[in-house]
Amino acid sequence: MIRLDNVTKSYKNTTVALRDCTVDIAKGEFVFLVGPSGSGKSTFLRLLTKEESPESGHIWVAGKDINELSPWKVPFLRRNIGCVFQDFKLLPNKSVYENVAFALEVIGVTRAVVRNQVPQMLDLVGLGKKMDNLPHELSGGEQQRVCIARAFVNRPLILLADEPTGNLDPSTSEGIMRLLHRINRTGTTVVMATHDRGIVDRMRQRVIELDRGTVVRDQDRGVYGYG
Amino acid sequence: MALSLEYVAKETSNNLRRNFLMTTGAILCVFVSLTIVGIALVLKAGVSRASVQWRHGVDMSIFMDPTAPPQETTAVRTQLQGEVGTDVRSFFYCTQACAYSEFKTMFANSPEFQESVSESDLPPSFRVVPTHPQLIEQVGDKYSNQPGVKSVVYAKDAIKGLLTVTHYAQVACVSLAVILLILAVMLIVNTIRMAIFSRRREVAVMKLVGATNWFIRIPFMVEGMVQGLLGAIAASIAVYLLRNVVYSLVGRNNILNNLVASTHDVIGTGIAILVVGVVVGAAGSAAAVSRFLDV
Repeated sequence: MIRLDNVTKSYKNTTVALRDCTVDIAKGEFVFLVGPSGSGKSTFLRLLTKEESPESGHIWVAGKDINELSPWKVPFLRRNIGCVFQDFKLLPNKSVYENVAFALEVIGVTRAVVRNQVPQMLDLVGLGKKMDNLPHELSGGEQQRVCIARAFVNRPLILLADEPTGNLDPSTSEGIMRLLHRINRTGTTVVMATHDRGIVDRMRQRVIELDRGTVVRDQDRGVYGYG
Repeated sequence: MALSLEYVAKETSNNLRRNFLMTTGAILCVFVSLTIVGIALVLKAGVSRASVQWRHGVDMSIFMDPTAPPQETTAVRTQLQGEVGTDVRSFFYCTQACAYSEFKTMFANSPEFQESVSESDLPPSFRVVPTHPQLIEQVGDKYSNQPGVKSVVYAKDAIKGLLTVTHYAQVACVSLAVILLILAVMLIVNTIRMAIFSRRREVAVMKLVGATNWFIRIPFMVEGMVQGLLGAIAASIAVYLLRNVVYSLVGRNNILNNLVASTHDVIGTGIAILVVGVVVGAAGSAAAVSRFLDV
């Protein structure tokens, strides 16, 4: 589903974000991306959505070499990838329903489908009763659920999460992880960058550790770290 | 790409309302500049209509009697041909049909006058361009007593003066209007830039979930075109009203009446203004979208 082949990426030719990175993630896997700040986790995720391009190496997403992808096809790549963020990136002047519906509307989905899919998705994340609230009326955990609903509403093949629990307390984080796990069980590949030791240790999934841009560990059913 | 008309209309009207001040400024700027362009064009149309006989440097018209036998016309023609190269630079013959179409152009604003005259009432004429305009009367005298010649008429200094003055007035108007149109483009660029800036979160989310680039761009471009179009519509109406005010001030059947542009001219000018307005709006928004919307 996702394959990186000797990928190197640096910023302004001085900071090396990823160095000769080779990773293979199969369909339906749940992968934690761990490592200290600046180790290249976010760059890893941004390369997959083609927000950044690598200097060398090849990246395959959903069977396509995305280096070869012409710019006008990038939006169609992104329709296969849902993104979840630490700071949620919700639109403050739109209701919960509208935030999720927006993701479908702007890719040209018909209104009938939107009206059918959005409530279903909000029920899945447990916000069926808060559809008309504005984001600032929700707790952090609830906002993150809206963000996940928005990322998953068009049923992408891949879900990328960049520190989704970074702003949440441990028990709320637990709920978010249960939700992501549930999404993973539907066959969606989930890649999650995180600093949360407790979560990684409890979930016992594949762990890829990055350090200064290099993959230093790739372990099935791994833990956060030995140190 | 499924980009519904309803979506574009909703986005565009929201943007226009959100940026009310800037939008109004841009529309007013297009309005003022295009009104000036319109006035220049209508003025030009009016003057060229009133001076239709004196186009192409014609300084003298030899009017023949409508009932003159053909051999008398041929005699004048032969004599004029003999002078081509010396006193006469060139000449042409305006038949009764030609005279009638000129007449209709000149009195386009007085239909009742047009009805009272028929083609056979009008004299055919020779239109003469002299080699030396100051010697024109000497040339004309030779023809005024020829058989079949009704009268010899010279272009008056007043008409020549009018043509010169309106020429400079047009140049001034058009230069001013071009500067104002450039200003209008800049204002539209800035309005669209602000619209993009105020919606940068939405644009980021749209990119994230895979909205196509044109889907993101089109509402902004339509916004610019609507601004150009609204300014142009206002300008067309203003030009039309101004022309009607002038027309009623001048009064019908007054000699100045001929100087007022016909409805036909005004409609043509209005269409030109609308086209320029849309082009200005499209240019401004295209520049803004390509410079400030990195999609």
